[in-house]
Amino acid sequence: MRVRASGEWTFNGLKARREEIVRSLAALRRQPPDRVAWDLRGLADLDDAGALWLARAVRGAQQVDVSPQHERILAQVKRGLRVPDVLTRPVDPLLPVVATGEAAMRFAAHVRDATALLGQIVLDAVALVQRPRDVPLREFSAGLYRAGVTALPVTMLVGFLVGIVLTYLSALQLKRYGADLLVINIVGVGVVRELGPMLASIIAAGRSGSAITAQLGVMRVTEEIEALAVMGVSVTTRLVLPKVIALAVALPLVAFCTDLAALAGAMLVSRFTLGIGPEAFLEALPRAVEVVNFWIGIGKSVAFGFAVALVACHYGLRVLPNTESLAAGVTRSVVAAITCVIVLDAIFAILLRNVG
Amino acid sequence: MSAEAGEHVIEVEDLTNTVGPGHVLHRDLNLHVRRDEVMTLVGGSGSGKTQLLRVILGLKHPAAGSVRVFGVSWDDSSFKKVRDARRRMGMLFQNGALFSALSVFDNVAFPLRERGGLSEKKIRAIVHTKLSEVELEPRHGGYLPANLSGGMVKRVALARSLALAPDLLVLDEPTAGLDPDRSERFVQLIKRLRADHRFAVLMVTHDLDTLNELTDRVAVLGDQHIIACGTLEEVQHLPHPFVRNFFGGDRGRRAFAHGTAAA
Repeated sequence: MRVRASGEWTFNGLKARREEIVRSLAALRRQPPDRVAWDLRGLADLDDAGALWLARAVRGAQQVDVSPQHERILAQVKRGLRVPDVLTRPVDPLLPVVATGEAAMRFAAHVRDATALLGQIVLDAVALVQRPRDVPLREFSAGLYRAGVTALPVTMLVGFLVGIVLTYLSALQLKRYGADLLVINIVGVGVVRELGPMLASIIAAGRSGSAITAQLGVMRVTEEIEALAVMGVSVTTRLVLPKVIALAVALPLVAFCTDLAALAGAMLVSRFTLGIGPEAFLEALPRAVEVVNFWIGIGKSVAFGFAVALVACHYGLRVLPNTESLAAGVTRSVVAAITCVIVLDAIFAILLRNVG
Repeated sequence: MSAEAGEHVIEVEDLTNTVGPGHVLHRDLNLHVRRDEVMTLVGGSGSGKTQLLRVILGLKHPAAGSVRVFGVSWDDSSFKKVRDARRRMGMLFQNGALFSALSVFDNVAFPLRERGGLSEKKIRAIVHTKLSEVELEPRHGGYLPANLSGGMVKRVALARSLALAPDLLVLDEPTAGLDPDRSERFVQLIKRLRADHRFAVLMVTHDLDTLNELTDRVAVLGDQHIIACGTLEEVQHLPHPFVRNFFGGDRGRRAFAHGTAAA
């Protein structure tokens, strides 16, 4: 049997005649392939899509006549068809164990590298004492401004609103027992010791942490980090150290302002739901909240700021030169920074349970 | 002037370099670059030219062997020795690696400010000299790298790498991404700067015109080490498949015919 193909066997041409071709090819497939001879010399045009159809159809054919200008593309597609499909690996019954182990190893590698980075910046800080001229003051002040001043509006707004919500909820409960004044104890200690530093550092992880990771990551992608290193500028001294110190200094200040905003919110709600006026609130506050709680909150913010910036720098320096890695790095940096803050907070809570 | 560092500016000895666990990229590799010469590193794709550059620049630790630039190992415990060696070396990255947050002026001024001990007035003078050396005008100083064309980025990066008047310039694919005309002009620029400032050059390139125009010696990287190192004439007729392909093809013949005609 002789089959003649003609016309445009191109992506667009095939779309128009698809059904007709599918039907005729299905009919041809019922024939024993070695009894069919193909004449493809009448093809007006052939591209990869058409060649793919034809190459499948003519497999095993007794004879294929093809015009010289189409010979190569057909041969190429035939070769492509012979490439075996990617073999799916047999499912390993130990896969969960392997995956868990690998995840643990990755985590250990992160901890190791972050510890090395921490050690490096401590060494840098010590070295800077001997070379005060190299102290990166400009970078430090830029970091302080970015992580501190510009973070104030959003952090204080959130603090104010959380103060309102917390006071309102506590007031509802306390009113039932007639313990109205206790609201100052609850909200006061809660805000100053826990919520202020927590809110400030979680927002810092989202704002400054992601910015630090993205900045270092892009510098990695554009080889600016390498350029610095080649010029003999220590990347940790110039980029990591000032950012970490800046956030460790800025965060307590931001947390302090957050405390103030949250207490202002609490004061507002106390006035309207419990009838405790601002004067009474402010008078009761120092008695209700021991000042050590405030210092605990500030001290924690220093540690949180340090941790957030260190984690952000760690992930920034690990970014590989591709966009996927940059996006993943920023995401992981924020998640890891927040997790780190919460873990640290829990550790502080246990260590300081008898204080204040 | 670098007599104290001996005859060689770069000495790579018995270098073994791995990527990832277990994959050996270079084994027992030796490479010496003399002062005042242009050494070109060529090799097939995947032979690890860029990785070798990274090791020489101290961006990567070798698994074994030693790398010394101006006689100083990057692992030297003396901070000052390493820093001084770094300041005698300029590097031109393939894509320039300009600091994107800094203007052209500040980019070129960066190594000078890092060095310290120079007044802002003096820095201004040096930066403008360097900019004019690479055929840029003072008004370009205010531009940000994002607003420059590819050729200008390369020239600014060259100006930055030459800011401290280095004794060694490392070039990674200096003409990649430039059209033939601009690439030709860039090569002539490097040639002229070299005539004025006498620095050694180590470069990686695929471009035979660049190679033919600039190089004194060629080191061929293949099979995990330097297969051959010598002048173009010595190297180009070696029986190694890469060398035959690289120099012996039509491309090679055209470039060298053109080279001899130009000479």
